[in-house]
Amino acid sequence: MNLRNVAVVGFAQLPVVARDEHRISTEMLYPVVRQALADCGVQRDDIDYQIAGSVDYMDGRPFGFVAALDVMGSWPPRQDLHLEMDGSFCAYYAWLRMQAGDCNTALVVGHGKTSEGEPDRVMNLQLDPYYQAAIGLDPTSTAALQASAYMARTGASDADLAAVAARNRAAGARNPENQLRDATSAAELQKTPWKVEPLRAGYLPPVGETATCLILAAEGKAEKLCDRPAWIQGVDHRTEMQTIGARDLSRSASTKLAAEKALAMADVASAREVDLVELFASSPAEELIVCDALGLDAKASQPVINPSGGALCANPIMSTGLIRLGEVFRQLSGRAGARAVPNARRAIAHATQGHCLQHNLLWVLGSERRWS
Amino acid sequence: MNEPPKEPIKYVDSKVYLPYHYVAGDYKARYLRALKDKRILGSKCSQTGKVFVPPLMNSPESFAPCTELVEVPDRGVVTTFCIVNIPVIGRNIELPYVAASVALDGVAISIFALIQECKPEEVRMGMRVEAVWKPDGERHGDHDDIQYFRPTGEPDAPRESYINRL
Repeated sequence: MNLRNVAVVGFAQLPVVARDEHRISTEMLYPVVRQALADCGVQRDDIDYQIAGSVDYMDGRPFGFVAALDVMGSWPPRQDLHLEMDGSFCAYYAWLRMQAGDCNTALVVGHGKTSEGEPDRVMNLQLDPYYQAAIGLDPTSTAALQASAYMARTGASDADLAAVAARNRAAGARNPENQLRDATSAAELQKTPWKVEPLRAGYLPPVGETATCLILAAEGKAEKLCDRPAWIQGVDHRTEMQTIGARDLSRSASTKLAAEKALAMADVASAREVDLVELFASSPAEELIVCDALGLDAKASQPVINPSGGALCANPIMSTGLIRLGEVFRQLSGRAGARAVPNARRAIAHATQGHCLQHNLLWVLGSERRWS
Repeated sequence: MNEPPKEPIKYVDSKVYLPYHYVAGDYKARYLRALKDKRILGSKCSQTGKVFVPPLMNSPESFAPCTELVEVPDRGVVTTFCIVNIPVIGRNIELPYVAASVALDGVAISIFALIQECKPEEVRMGMRVEAVWKPDGERHGDHDDIQYFRPTGEPDAPRESYINRL
């Protein structure tokens, strides 16, 4: 089946910081939207569709997301949507709209001030209010439960987790937009205290915030907006059960299935055939579980895993997944600077949401159009 | 097992505690600080010249940045208004009272304000009003520094001067 060729043609973000003391969330977003449009050489009126990812609980206001309309250029009246999910999921929705044929270009943003609320309290409220939220589970403790399950099944050790974290930190030192930009050895990371055992403080990203904007364009427009568009060749999104206890936490069934579907759409036999992968894994155990589901060896040199440093070096709410897609665009379009993977022609971008990798979204992008 | 329990637990109480510590943002921080000095700041659209109060980083209408902060008068015109006859949470004012949109002179959009020192039935579109500030030493840089607006006694503003700023 022939689908419409759609490409990422622009991406902009602010450097990720612990707390921006000078700007509210929408004031962080405005310059990023301007920058992404300027990079594509277009005016706001040239973009058909807009979609934003943010979380009102983090904002502390019901319908807080509508404030973003004022900085996205929403006049004259636009086609618009908001998702309470990471911007990568917004990009997926925009891609679907383009497949439906009612828009040719889309502005996709992610934003949120993680530092203004308490993320652990907010994420606790994602869980069911009867048994899970009530006992105080937060994302770190559910991630630790998942890490324990994975280690029990595979025999992975603390040193294995430290090695994954150290590889990300080393790569991340080459990315000027990361919050953590210092390479640290596995031995040093293994000396950091437990946050929630078996996860150490050195294995987890700090709280951070940014704003991101990505521009999608369909064939015919994409070539005009970008010298080297990153073409979407395959994509799939799968969701698992809400009840954590009902899932095998040592595996990610939704990543596995989404990857199979996305790779089949891209006509790629295996994830091992791509040049790089950008994974949204906010702990080393999550990265190992996602690699496992993709059939990748986390220690192999091909494909390169997280040349950006991944989510361990910067995990800004609502943007971490969109940054993965933006990083793949940068790699495929010759904009990755010191972290460029030589001759990158094809890549996977992953995004996840929910506790213990509940939702998983897999993108396969390449420097060539998929469909003729 | 098939018998219902004699004293069933039918409800689960859940208390949600979510503290927030908001950044004002540099535009609003300057605006709030100026209120302490009985000054009102707006921001000016670099493309259209329209002025917004409180100051915005960009014009929502033109999408152009607002690069300049300007001081605006603490007087203007009632555009639209309503007469409140029911108590509102957090507000202890004698009923009925008037809540109005006030377009400050030279400002493109209106702010919400109370109209006092006149009878509710005297308030009308086009009525000229001025800010009544808290006394010196009692202003803390928040929106309550302006207690309310009151009529100036000037002739009403012509309809065309405010009809596009409702």
